[in-house]
Amino acid sequence: MRQRRRRRLGTAAVAALALCGLAGCGVSDPGPPTLTWYINPDSGGQAEIAAACTAAANGAYDIEVSTLPRESSEQRQQLVRRLAAGDSSIDIMSLDPPYIPEFAQAGFLAPVPAEVGARAIDGVAQSAIDGATWNDQLVTIPFWANTQLLWYKKSVAEAAGLDMTQPVTWDQLVAAAQAQDTQIAAQGRRAESLVVWFNALIQSAGGEVITQTADRPEDIQLGLDSPQSQRASAVMSEIANSGVVGPAFTTAGEDESVASFENGAAGFMVNWPFVWGRAKSGVEGGTLDQSVVDDYGWAVYPEVDPGTPSAPPYGGINLGVGASSRYPDLAYQATECITSDENQKAYFISDGNPAASLAVFEDPEVIAEFPMAPVIAQSLQQAKPRPQTAYYSEVSGSLQREYHPPTAVSPATGPDAAALIRAVLSGEELL
Amino acid sequence: MSTRERTWWIVAGIGIILYALFPIAWIVSLSFKSASDISNGQFLPTVFTWENYSLILTGDASELFLPALLNSFGICLIATALSCLLAMFAAYAIARLDFPGKKIILSTALAVAIFPVISIVTPLFNLWRQIGLYDTWPGLIIPYLSLTLPISIWTMSAFFREIPWEMEQAAQVDGATTWQAFRKVIVPLAAPGVFTTAIIAFFLAWNDFVYGISLTSTSAARPVPAALGLFSGASQFEDPTGGIAAAAVVVTIPVIILVLFFQRRIVAGLTNGAVKG
Amino acid sequence: MTTTAPPSTGSATAAPAPARHTSDRVRAERRLGWMLAGPAFAVMLLVTAYPIFQAIYDSLFSYRLTDPGNRSFVGLGNYWVVLTDALWWQSFGVTAFITVVTVAVELVLGFALALVMLKALKGLRPILRAAILLPYAIITVVSAFAWQFAFDLTSGFVNSWFAWLPGISAETDWFGQTGTSLLVICLAEIWKTTPFISLLLLAGLAQVPDVLQEAAQVDGATWWQRMRKVTIPNMKAAIMVALLFRTLDAFRVFDSVFIMTAGANGTETVSFLAYRQTIARLEIGLGSAVSVLLFLSVVLIAFGFIKGFKVDLAQARGEK
Repeated sequence: MRQRRRRRLGTAAVAALALCGLAGCGVSDPGPPTLTWYINPDSGGQAEIAAACTAAANGAYDIEVSTLPRESSEQRQQLVRRLAAGDSSIDIMSLDPPYIPEFAQAGFLAPVPAEVGARAIDGVAQSAIDGATWNDQLVTIPFWANTQLLWYKKSVAEAAGLDMTQPVTWDQLVAAAQAQDTQIAAQGRRAESLVVWFNALIQSAGGEVITQTADRPEDIQLGLDSPQSQRASAVMSEIANSGVVGPAFTTAGEDESVASFENGAAGFMVNWPFVWGRAKSGVEGGTLDQSVVDDYGWAVYPEVDPGTPSAPPYGGINLGVGASSRYPDLAYQATECITSDENQKAYFISDGNPAASLAVFEDPEVIAEFPMAPVIAQSLQQAKPRPQTAYYSEVSGSLQREYHPPTAVSPATGPDAAALIRAVLSGEELL
Repeated sequence: MSTRERTWWIVAGIGIILYALFPIAWIVSLSFKSASDISNGQFLPTVFTWENYSLILTGDASELFLPALLNSFGICLIATALSCLLAMFAAYAIARLDFPGKKIILSTALAVAIFPVISIVTPLFNLWRQIGLYDTWPGLIIPYLSLTLPISIWTMSAFFREIPWEMEQAAQVDGATTWQAFRKVIVPLAAPGVFTTAIIAFFLAWNDFVYGISLTSTSAARPVPAALGLFSGASQFEDPTGGIAAAAVVVTIPVIILVLFFQRRIVAGLTNGAVKG
Repeated sequence: MTTTAPPSTGSATAAPAPARHTSDRVRAERRLGWMLAGPAFAVMLLVTAYPIFQAIYDSLFSYRLTDPGNRSFVGLGNYWVVLTDALWWQSFGVTAFITVVTVAVELVLGFALALVMLKALKGLRPILRAAILLPYAIITVVSAFAWQFAFDLTSGFVNSWFAWLPGISAETDWFGQTGTSLLVICLAEIWKTTPFISLLLLAGLAQVPDVLQEAAQVDGATWWQRMRKVTIPNMKAAIMVALLFRTLDAFRVFDSVFIMTAGANGTETVSFLAYRQTIARLEIGLGSAVSVLLFLSVVLIAFGFIKGFKVDLAQARGEK
């Protein structure tokens, strides 16, 4: 009896397979064209915007969201695999800026219509425009721009005698943390966040990971064997080895950093603005005391050399349109709706992700919600993107391999990393 | 056995139970911790909360988790059914007929079972992209057969070899038709073996991770183990420990049910043919 | 049947077939056999043989998925790159280390579990059996998460529980160094796969004839002597089969590494390296070379076992 049922089940399965065929099982609905928007995980803000824009489109299109993995490197993997397959279901993508050159170079992005591009960069922070550009062409639409701030506990800074109205240096922070017996929280984990940190250090010192980008991997010029690079390595090593980082520093990412800042172990931290949203929901949820949050202070990213403005990390999300999309024009229409100042503001308030458009930072509602908005805006003006190259994942992976663990960084690390990047780019070494 | 010896064996038995259940108890405990409890450094939650379960079943993560759960069930059941069907015919032939190639088939099954999945996932991924099977159910069901089919053939052959097939003839001599003889005599004898094989094959498919993360990219076909890596906290930079723990518990429930109900069979299936003729 | 009789590959069928004189009947039976077993055989070949040949072919090219225009034939160049790369040998070493450590511990532990199950009281047996099966049946990814969260500095309890041990404090970062990361990975693997080995060994223990045991006891042999002289030699086949399968399984370790460390701090295994080159970096050529080398390593291990230890594969079974 059971066997027969099983056999029937098997037959049904075969039939189902045959029916679905190669196209997968889908029912075509004759409604408005569906635009699929691949989003990075957030707390629901992008889905809300998609619904709002669908309603505003009056049946011109219908935006559906599909969630990508958490780590930006994995987001890239998923998208590249589908784009290389010429997947026509990829209409709009939320892209982490460092991977945009690779996508543009491989021809995965539909060209930005001139008038859409002109409107898209109007009143947008310079770092966000740089991040959306490749080979002097705007290839994506800036949506929101992220930058790291220096977060500190006012009480700790005061006790250490730091004047936080002026820019502070990493050296000052280390000295203050040692004197106050507190920690500096940074991201020492072997992940993209380590590259974010290193790139901010080398750029703050006036150097560049890539001094001359090129289409052929062999022709890319690196700046890792320079005095500025040495300076960045020295700062990284000093922070990691001065006894001012937490015990899990080499496995700590953004989440671990903010946890140690919340529980009082760290008095200083470099991190993205999500810290603020998290603190507020912690107070609401009763897991964090209001007095702790009242002690939060924020400033622009620390400097490497006194007097030289720092180069804070630039991150965020730009919107790309897939080259194989069936409705590129509609997709670009949709990006204009998604990135309207109104939606950027809503997203800033709902998810704590700062806008790319500078006008949003002057909105009283935003300032009420995010008192640090002016500092974020200033930081975005100063921010520098990570090295722009079509081989970013190789460059980033090599840097992660050489600069991890940060406790072992030495003057030789820079030249080693340069040699590894060259070998990997020319296909002579694994990664 | 003396009383002392007996006590000793009981203690050892309890030790085994603790060994097996401890990590499972830990993940269950973790799944009931609230966000502030997660880092309390204790085994048990201070406050018992369902919030992680509501997160994955009705909350933000449900859009990721529920489709993945459906995919896992559907894909694993179909792959199990298909491999049982194919293995049933093969095992019948191996157990009952005399033909050259038996040895080749069994050795092939063995070779496929020890195959490093990672070695073949890239060519499959490339082929799937070209023919449109990437990120579809069939695109996972087919590779899952490489996991489930070899074990199905081995286990079922071992079971079928123990069936007294001559009873079929005896029934026919007694006046039953071929079909009746088959249905009344053979099916009841063969069913337990088929069923056990199906459970073990299902475990293997349920456990897959490499195919799941390499051959899917959306909720269209992503199975649960692959989806676990996609959870996120309130923002991209926060770790979703509680949600992962709750999801881990949910996907473990079917496995626990199968084990509790069919443990004797599963053990027989796992060891049958490994050391018994 | 005894353990030495190959059960499956002989032509002994359960129903003694009548002597066949007509070659027609023989041929018909052969045809039927292949008709029934052919589909399964074909499917197995299709899902594994085709991709591995494709991987071998791909490994001869320099080919990057995002740069299809620059695809070029490089012969064995990719293999040269891989085999002269320290990273490959490091991954190979890590994989070998995990394999040797886990298999050795599992064999001893599995044997102990099997003995307890054999001697356990009737009433305890079903509970023990169910408990033992749970780790076997649980998803590897779930087990990896459970162990990772247990040792993790923020969410774990291990540091606070074991702080009395020298070298462990509230601030021990288990995933911060190679040694401790590998320790946790090995623990998770051992917990998950020992039950399977113990079940195979239990079946082997049950095969040991009681007569021999009693005879040895009469001769005044101690428990240890009985183990060494009677029990273990008589279940050698079961031990070897368990060893072979676990070794091959351990050598492919991937899930735990992926979840716990993502290869940081020198914990990359060969499987993980292959994954990184092909799926993450989309370097199809180089990655295929790593995949093929991994495949060859598995084949060599299997071959070495079968030839070196005379494992009777007729008793082995497709089993993870």
